[in-house]
Amino acid sequence: MLLQMNQITKTYGTLTANAKVDFTLREGEIHALVGENGAGKTTLMRMLYGMEQPTSGTIHMHDKTVAFANPTDAIRHGIGMVHQHFMLFPSFTVAENIVIGNEPHGVKFDRKKAALQVEALCATYKLPIDPLKKVADCPLGMQQRVEILKVLYQGADIIILDEPTGVLTPLEAKELLAIMKSLAAQGKSFIIITHKLHEVMEVADRITVLRDGKVTGTLDAAATNVEELSRLMVGRELAKTERSVLSPGATVLEVKGVSIAGKKGKPVLDRVSFQVKAGEIVGIAGISGNGQSELLQSISGLTTIDQGEIRLLGKDVAGRSVREIRESGLSHIPEDRYQWGAAKEGTVLENGTMGHHRTNRRYGLLQGKALRAMVDRFIQQFEIKARSQETKVKFLSGGNVQKLIVAREIAQNKPFLIAAEPTRGVDIGAMELIHDELLKKRDEQGAILLVSSELTEILKLSDRILVMYEGRIAGELPASEATEEQISLWMAGGEAHA
Amino acid sequence: MLKGKASISAWLQPLLAILIGLIGGAIAILLIGGSVFDTYAQMWKGAFGNFYFFTNTLTRATPLLLVGLGVSIAFRAGFFNMGSEGQMILGAFTSALIALYFPGTPLFKLLAAMLGGILVGGLWSAFAGWLDARFRMNLIITTLLLNYIASLFAGYMVAYPLKDKTGSAALAQTMMVDKSVWLPKLFPGMSIHAGFIIAIVLAVALFLFIKYSSGGYEIRMLGYNPLFAAYGGVNRGRLMLYSMFASGGFAGLAGAVEVLGMQYRYTDGMVTNPGYAWSGIMATLLSGAHPLGTAVASVLLAALQTGGMGVERNTSIPLEISSVIQSLLILFITAKFGLGLWKRRKGGNSDAASS
Repeated sequence: MLLQMNQITKTYGTLTANAKVDFTLREGEIHALVGENGAGKTTLMRMLYGMEQPTSGTIHMHDKTVAFANPTDAIRHGIGMVHQHFMLFPSFTVAENIVIGNEPHGVKFDRKKAALQVEALCATYKLPIDPLKKVADCPLGMQQRVEILKVLYQGADIIILDEPTGVLTPLEAKELLAIMKSLAAQGKSFIIITHKLHEVMEVADRITVLRDGKVTGTLDAAATNVEELSRLMVGRELAKTERSVLSPGATVLEVKGVSIAGKKGKPVLDRVSFQVKAGEIVGIAGISGNGQSELLQSISGLTTIDQGEIRLLGKDVAGRSVREIRESGLSHIPEDRYQWGAAKEGTVLENGTMGHHRTNRRYGLLQGKALRAMVDRFIQQFEIKARSQETKVKFLSGGNVQKLIVAREIAQNKPFLIAAEPTRGVDIGAMELIHDELLKKRDEQGAILLVSSELTEILKLSDRILVMYEGRIAGELPASEATEEQISLWMAGGEAHA
Repeated sequence: MLKGKASISAWLQPLLAILIGLIGGAIAILLIGGSVFDTYAQMWKGAFGNFYFFTNTLTRATPLLLVGLGVSIAFRAGFFNMGSEGQMILGAFTSALIALYFPGTPLFKLLAAMLGGILVGGLWSAFAGWLDARFRMNLIITTLLLNYIASLFAGYMVAYPLKDKTGSAALAQTMMVDKSVWLPKLFPGMSIHAGFIIAIVLAVALFLFIKYSSGGYEIRMLGYNPLFAAYGGVNRGRLMLYSMFASGGFAGLAGAVEVLGMQYRYTDGMVTNPGYAWSGIMATLLSGAHPLGTAVASVLLAALQTGGMGVERNTSIPLEISSVIQSLLILFITAKFGLGLWKRRKGGNSDAASS
């Protein structure tokens, strides 16, 4: 056995992050580590990478007991880790980033030799890359390749990938999975931390599921399926989301020829037109940064447009204030919960009050009792874990903050709802709950504009799917005709099919 | 229980700062060869020793409190108003002019003088807010620089066109306001006047406003996270102008009250020399922009100053010992703010891990 982690326990004070976890890795194997947020996946890998020390338990490599005081130790033993957020220097070249920490040098850093070494490395592992290109000019998929090459350059035989496809386009993600398989065939071993079960099924040989710090199963990928895995992750059967068939009603939102000029002559939004009807979820797919944020900000009044019309329930709202637009019928789950959606220093009550403070006041005074009762309902209905309404939001987990925001916006009870990345970074339980609430809102004749970079989410919820690419609507499909391949193609800028 | 804990820690930091300030002061006293116990005893006596000294301290706290309340509004909304001095000067100057030259009954003149002080102080402050909203001029810098304009303008006016030439003294000051327009004294023979009552009432009112009103809620949210407020439909530009106006209005009222209750005229340097405005800003910082806390902090800072005078009267230790303590206070309050900022930044990165 290449690697064995035996009975690993890690406690922080009274909190147990890992309880008697067993984990093994064979040579040439791709082993996926799955679990909800906070299940202890990352903690386990941090111990393997020497960033944390286990409270008890042992690690063996090639049947010898080892202990890693720090990452340098782990790297020396052939363990490399690619973090979720890339750790690269954007203004340096690919080669410089790869050889960092172990640069070829005579008296000074030998850049030419570094480039040659990197080229040789690329050839060995069949991972073509231009060593002299600046990292800042590389797309994210390429940057990830740089990270993997960096780890290989350090001589890693075991490569840990933490949520590797989170920031990648579907095509880039496919490529990454192919790279992993090819490297595994050359004898490298992978541990991949993820919550995307479809990817797991595609690439992994074995899968270990963690829940609340404990292993709930280690399975052969060939002998399991997504349903079983999610049951092991969540601890219960996930209800299949039932979608009723609805015929959409009147037009609620109409966007017509909306454009925003960009800085370099390339428009941020380019003549975007679409409609959202009552009782309909329109999903906008796309890699983030293709104009979705600006589109949502235009609709909600947070930014101004240069051209076009935005009609909400027939009323032209382009250029109106946020408050006016909200009062004409908009509620809004923003894409970045800490930037737009919440005040971290504020309490649960204060954060839940936003927007409702205009409807729950008398003589300019907030009606504290009514607001408190309302926020209590949010907490109960959405199972928000907070010690009390007076707890500051910065002490809540991301999923609970998101549930609070969703609860607050759905409770505005407006005909139109923007749901931007409504489940980004939340665990499966919260995701299920939020999805159900969105569908319920739709069934009650609400009009919802869903923007998500998660294709599965778009496909699951939408009645109609639009794809945005470089500020334009690159394609449109009814959900019944949508395929992942077609949408991926549009997302990557492929031609709209005739 | 959590709430109790939070309020203890909210008190702990300013108390710690005060303690360190006093220890630092003690070291300074020892260095110049005084007796620490004696000096602090004299300081206590000078500030709270008898009814006269006590009310004298409250009188001195009055402008501090009003300025501090104003600063706390801006601060809560997320803006630094460093222009309290200029706003207070213009408020004082305006109220003196109205009390002197306006027609009408004494009561009308008194009210008009106070309102005029509020209005001018508020507009001066809102002007800085407008410069920020319209031209993106940094608020801290504009409010700070507008202090000089206000101070020099009022100084010129009382040195030349409006100078009191009736008395023998060659001071740069306006004529004295008629007795009928004065704010009443609360006790005969004591300096404390109705302005103190006004300030305390406003402190309570502001506390209730911030805590319970819809406008107070918007101000708090704007201060916590401007983007969140904007997203929720709060008009940032308008609310900034309002809160800057209110902020300057309080400073203007501080000036008006000082003229109508204490000095009865505008004298060049009457605001700058005692450092009223800066002490008021300090009171706000010390209390974390809590209106009632600002009241406590104002009395404390005033006591340091009146106590310092007591020390100078009765011992060989100079008045500056109060400044030493005050400077140390500023230092440690700043440290507290720095720490808070640092924590916030750290907190920002740990979101993902906290689930």
